[in-house]
Amino acid sequence: MIAESVTPPRQITGERRQRIQAFAVAWLLALGVWQITTFISGGWVPSLWRIFEALGEDATTANIYAEMWITLRRIFISFGAATAIGIGLGVAMGLSRRVTAFFRPIVVMGLAVPDIVYIIVAILVLGTDESSGLIAMVLALVPFVVNIVIGGVKSRDPGLDEMSSVYRLQRHRYLVDVVGWQVSPALLAATRTCFAFSWKLVVLVEALSQPRGIGAQVYYSFRLLRPDHMIAQALLFIVVLRIVEAIMFGPLERKLLGWMQ
Amino acid sequence: MSRTAEYIRIVGLNVSYDGITPAVSNLDMQVAEGDFVAVLGPSGCGKSTLLHAISGVVLPQSGIIEIAGQPVGTGRGDQSVPIGYVFQEHRLLPWRTVAQNIAIVLRAAGISDEEIDLRIDRYLEMLHISEYRDTWPLRLSGGQRQRVSIARALAIQPAVVLMDEPFSTLDEVTARVMRQQLAELWQESGQTLVFVTHSIREALFLANRIFILTRGPASVFDVVDVPVARPRRYEDPQLTELEAQIVEHVMDEWGYGQPRAGDDDA
Repeated sequence: MIAESVTPPRQITGERRQRIQAFAVAWLLALGVWQITTFISGGWVPSLWRIFEALGEDATTANIYAEMWITLRRIFISFGAATAIGIGLGVAMGLSRRVTAFFRPIVVMGLAVPDIVYIIVAILVLGTDESSGLIAMVLALVPFVVNIVIGGVKSRDPGLDEMSSVYRLQRHRYLVDVVGWQVSPALLAATRTCFAFSWKLVVLVEALSQPRGIGAQVYYSFRLLRPDHMIAQALLFIVVLRIVEAIMFGPLERKLLGWMQ
Repeated sequence: MSRTAEYIRIVGLNVSYDGITPAVSNLDMQVAEGDFVAVLGPSGCGKSTLLHAISGVVLPQSGIIEIAGQPVGTGRGDQSVPIGYVFQEHRLLPWRTVAQNIAIVLRAAGISDEEIDLRIDRYLEMLHISEYRDTWPLRLSGGQRQRVSIARALAIQPAVVLMDEPFSTLDEVTARVMRQQLAELWQESGQTLVFVTHSIREALFLANRIFILTRGPASVFDVVDVPVARPRRYEDPQLTELEAQIVEHVMDEWGYGQPRAGDDDA
């Protein structure tokens, strides 16, 4: 009895300690490599201390949060539109051969086109206003979402399709209760991928064509040869995004995948 | 109350998945209302395809399939004669609880919410799984999942219940208990039941009539009545004797006797 109650907590503690050690070693290694790079570059790459100072400076100015809000708004618009279009199209392609035959070449081409091309073409066609950047981002993101969702829909259990057909489930019930839940891991993966891509693209679009937003601020710092602020702003934004991601996807993941546990 | 002698009527049924290779060939079958029939055939002979055709999942190339005088429907949203189906694997939605799995098909059958609750309680109790009402299917054993699958099929109070080797994936002890319960349930409900199996003993224990199929493409090779009174015992010597007779009878047809003309030499 005593051995049974004591052994498992020890194992868990040991595993946790190993994870913490690995985490600490990875961080120390990364910071060490950065510091070495600072020495090698002769000061062009800012030291950790300079970045830390810039972080403190930027984090206490209200302006950075206004720029962050602009970028976050753009991310949510492009991410929302790309996810909605991508999931709709992906499900339709996964269920219908005819729809697949029509859209497949477009999706394949969409996946192959470099993101920068979407941005440049959008600027050439629509100018440098905000909508051109948003359209470019949606066009760049949709093929990735579609590709992941098609895989999920096509690998669904045909036995459940048969069951829903035998019991005459209505179309919307079939799509929600049978297909929707079955492909929810793929939908979640597609949504996460889309979110991760969208913020990187938004920052790129802002750097190239917008006067406001975190991307524009990072590029502005680069032009002023202030790499410490450039990195500090990027780091601040990454932290905010990680928090947004955890708030957004944590509960969603628990709701959609709870039955697997 | 008179019972229809041809409640399920199948005439000249031909089914092929690819339009070339027949899976069911010129099959005729009549099942009386409230009867319990077994469809017996070797593995791969087309038994499941026959059930798919009866349930409307597969469209036949030609032939007639009628239940209670109506042609069977062909899939989602169709409101023809309700059919309960118990598959070889449970085919429950793992992201829905036991009660929700039953509720989904009841809702599709147009049953009201109050009635749905009543039926779920009634059929879970009937199958001795009331305590699992709000459990995820992944937490149930194979036998319990199959009970839920049977409860789902019976809860819509279908005109016909089709069962496709529902106990073949269960261990023998569980399978025996479930067979016994199924025989009792059928006697209580009096529903028309078509039970597909490759086990002669199982067919003899459960059914009133056995349709023996050819080894494929499926057509009816013979029809055997089971003259054994209920309740039956699985080890009944009468069943053993009948089993031996059927084995003897189907040996050639199922390919274990003399080679037939056209059989592969290999």
